[in-house]
Amino acid sequence: MRKYHLVRRSNPRMTTTILLYINGLLLSLLVGAILLYALDIDPFEYYGKMFTMGLIGNKYGFKTIEGLLKVFVPLLITSVALSISFKMRFWNIGGEGEFLVGAICASIIAFNSTGMPNVVTIVLMCLAAMLSSGIIGVAIAALKVKFNTNETLMTLMLNYIMLYVIRYIGETKADWNFFLRADSERPKFGTFPDSAIMGGIQIGKFKLLWAVIIAIVLTAIVYVYLKYTKRGYEINVVGDSSATAKYAGMNVGRIVLRTMFLSSALIGLAAALTVSSAGTISDTITNDVGWTGIIVAWLGKLSIPAVFIISILISILQYGCQAAATSYPAIDSNFADLMQGIILVFALIADFEANFKLVETAEAIQRRKERKQKRIERKQTVTGKAEKTAEATKEGTTNE
Amino acid sequence: MEYAIELKGISKSFGPVAANKNINLSLVKGEILALLGENGSGKTTLMNMLSGIYMPDSGSIFINGKKVSINSPEDSGKLGIGMVHQHFKLVERFTALENIRIGMRNVKSVLIRNNVRKNIEETAAKFGFNIDLDKQVSNMSVSEKQTLEILKVLCYGAKIIILDEPTAVLTVQEIERLFAVLRKMKEEGHSIIIITHKLNEVMSISDRVAILRHGEYIDTVVTKETNEKALTELMVGHKIELNIERPIMEKTHPLLEIRNLTVKNDEGMIAVDHMNFYIRGGEMLGVAGIAGSGQKELCEAIAGLRKIEDGLMIHEGKSIVGLSPKDVLAHGVAMSFIPEDRLGMGLSPSLSITDNIILKNYNDSKGIFVNRKNGRAEAQKVIERFEIVTPSTETPVRRLSGGNVQKVLLGREIKSGPNVLITAYPVRGLDINSSYRIYDILNEQKKKGVGILFVGEDLDVMLALCDKILVMCHGALQGVVNSDNTTKEEIGLMMTGSLNIVDRYGKTAGIAKDSVITDEEGKAE
Repeated sequence: MRKYHLVRRSNPRMTTTILLYINGLLLSLLVGAILLYALDIDPFEYYGKMFTMGLIGNKYGFKTIEGLLKVFVPLLITSVALSISFKMRFWNIGGEGEFLVGAICASIIAFNSTGMPNVVTIVLMCLAAMLSSGIIGVAIAALKVKFNTNETLMTLMLNYIMLYVIRYIGETKADWNFFLRADSERPKFGTFPDSAIMGGIQIGKFKLLWAVIIAIVLTAIVYVYLKYTKRGYEINVVGDSSATAKYAGMNVGRIVLRTMFLSSALIGLAAALTVSSAGTISDTITNDVGWTGIIVAWLGKLSIPAVFIISILISILQYGCQAAATSYPAIDSNFADLMQGIILVFALIADFEANFKLVETAEAIQRRKERKQKRIERKQTVTGKAEKTAEATKEGTTNE
Repeated sequence: MEYAIELKGISKSFGPVAANKNINLSLVKGEILALLGENGSGKTTLMNMLSGIYMPDSGSIFINGKKVSINSPEDSGKLGIGMVHQHFKLVERFTALENIRIGMRNVKSVLIRNNVRKNIEETAAKFGFNIDLDKQVSNMSVSEKQTLEILKVLCYGAKIIILDEPTAVLTVQEIERLFAVLRKMKEEGHSIIIITHKLNEVMSISDRVAILRHGEYIDTVVTKETNEKALTELMVGHKIELNIERPIMEKTHPLLEIRNLTVKNDEGMIAVDHMNFYIRGGEMLGVAGIAGSGQKELCEAIAGLRKIEDGLMIHEGKSIVGLSPKDVLAHGVAMSFIPEDRLGMGLSPSLSITDNIILKNYNDSKGIFVNRKNGRAEAQKVIERFEIVTPSTETPVRRLSGGNVQKVLLGREIKSGPNVLITAYPVRGLDINSSYRIYDILNEQKKKGVGILFVGEDLDVMLALCDKILVMCHGALQGVVNSDNTTKEEIGLMMTGSLNIVDRYGKTAGIAKDSVITDEEGKAE
């Protein structure tokens, strides 16, 4: 018999939710502090560096912001794109794979763009990436619509296929392989020609990449798309009840295909912007946005403004962890990943606590009451007996 | 007399709805007891309490004379109760043997030993089952699956066996075979409860019949001392005079004519079988039938949601066969269907009232944006007109109470100004006041000359509200009766397939005298 069961809170209160999150953050920092202490590092100093991202007292602070934005842009676009498909209850967990498809196709253009105008190259890269990722997404959606295959498995497998494709490209020295540096003996990804490098607006020393502006504008467009357009409305209805969508005369299959194209094409775009900003490609180019994006989308409850804010917070966390980790010789970027993981787990627990509560089952309450009753009864009989024995002894003494 | 089961004063409520009220029931050892009752009379709830799925709110259960409390299906199994559910609980990928093996509690070994197989084979032979233990369930026919389910509970040592509508899915020959097995089980000393709607089966298989009505226990009678008519009366009860208004309107020509309509269900079985009927303007036609007799498929076929196999559907002289749901609506045929879960079809629970109101016409406005300004105004109108209780037009539909949810759905359908309104179970789960409000809404439409098809559950309501009642059984038309000169018993007999009056009045029921379909068209199949 189960003693407790989980009940969804009917109306989670904002203040409780925030308190739970703060609580979760503090707990995760405490766990981190224990680890740091064991490594002989002062946790306060470490956390100080982490939350300021090493900005304070740094002559090259603008570099930090630039680096942060490079983490932020792909994460934001990917999370927004995943939110679109999740809204439709299409469990696209293939963000990694779709990102890599886009990155490879954008790089094909980039490596062959020597001499082309910068704007043309970047637009072409974006288009190639969006189209290729979009097609992959549509293919998986089509299998789902036509044969009712499981999209979770399909998109998941895509991630591994693409990871091995890019590793293959990265490790195969051959004449056709223009991805690699020609002048290196060992296989090594080359760098893009200048024509394929993302430009930006120079503000003093700080360079605001176009990618950042594109990402923010795109987020606003997706927000409007989901909230105010007919197509966004259709996505909401299909996600909420596909029987109802059919009943209303919507072509559910077409909506699924269209939406999945949009979702994966956006992830492809994120990839194009990322490789262009980085000026190169690698098998770690995704920086795990396909996975982190899922967490961001869920923490943001698939609401685009919330996803925007959470993307910023997670980016700061990621970048801050890296910045802090690199300033100590005892630890490296793996510790940063560990720290991030701990914080995310506690955030998810907090989110869960905010939405559910543990309630004793009716049976358990009943049983507890029965037990209590029995205990009282037993006590009474025991005291009754004791009294009797006492009386008996008394009688015995008097008899004597 | 020795009782296998005695239920005393069992009550069970789900929220405000009482499914079982103070039920007393007894099952004598070695008898077959038929449990009879209309839909929603609480049969399945009661049996689920015996099989440990629900727990009674009050009352006590005695098994073999001992008071017990059944907290889980496991407890139920230990007490020797086995239930064969209407929807089979089998692993499709497993063979018959594996399906039986996985539920065995007292066998230690993980492997399927020969003695397990031998035991099962012996049990099967004892009761005259003809079953291939190595056949995979996914390759089995419905009847084979059922045999397996029964064999399964017997192998687990059940002495009391409950069968929930076992004959609903079987052919006549298969039913005979099932009954032979049941009789054999009885000989071996098993006690059986069988839930069924079919009176002829009740008469042929059972020793006694227990009748439930609206969650209450009515009576238990000895089968030999009763007849189908008497049972029907007990089941449907005497006609209750309801104070529902039924305006009598001038009837117009047939607006919607259905001829020879044949539709399959999701499993590919015939759900609607050569159905004929018509609806005139200003008329309300009730559809009565046991749950799952093809009502859903009929509604979906007319609304353009389900492909039809055969037949004609003529709306005002034009065929609506093969039209999309949108085009059917544009023609003037609106459909609202309240499914069992009350939210699944036609409404989007998480979306606001506005978003639900615009569901069918969001695409009519120009441009890429949804016109929510008009939507909100329409939602406001529907809220005012049907007195929907809600904080605002932006409240998600799932936050509303049942009656208000159904008003939203009905309001949207009526808003489109149809001249044929199909409404299925519009008062499902509603309290009296909300129900009457819905009847008023439907009557208002009728007064406007709209033809209404009312698919319902409660015969008393249908007799009071509808002008005529169409009765279907297993997807086939049993006849159309006039509400003023019929009885609940007659409808009850038709619903259970004991009476067919399609040809009673010298003409085929469901075909209008002034039909626009010529005889040749009607015959062409």
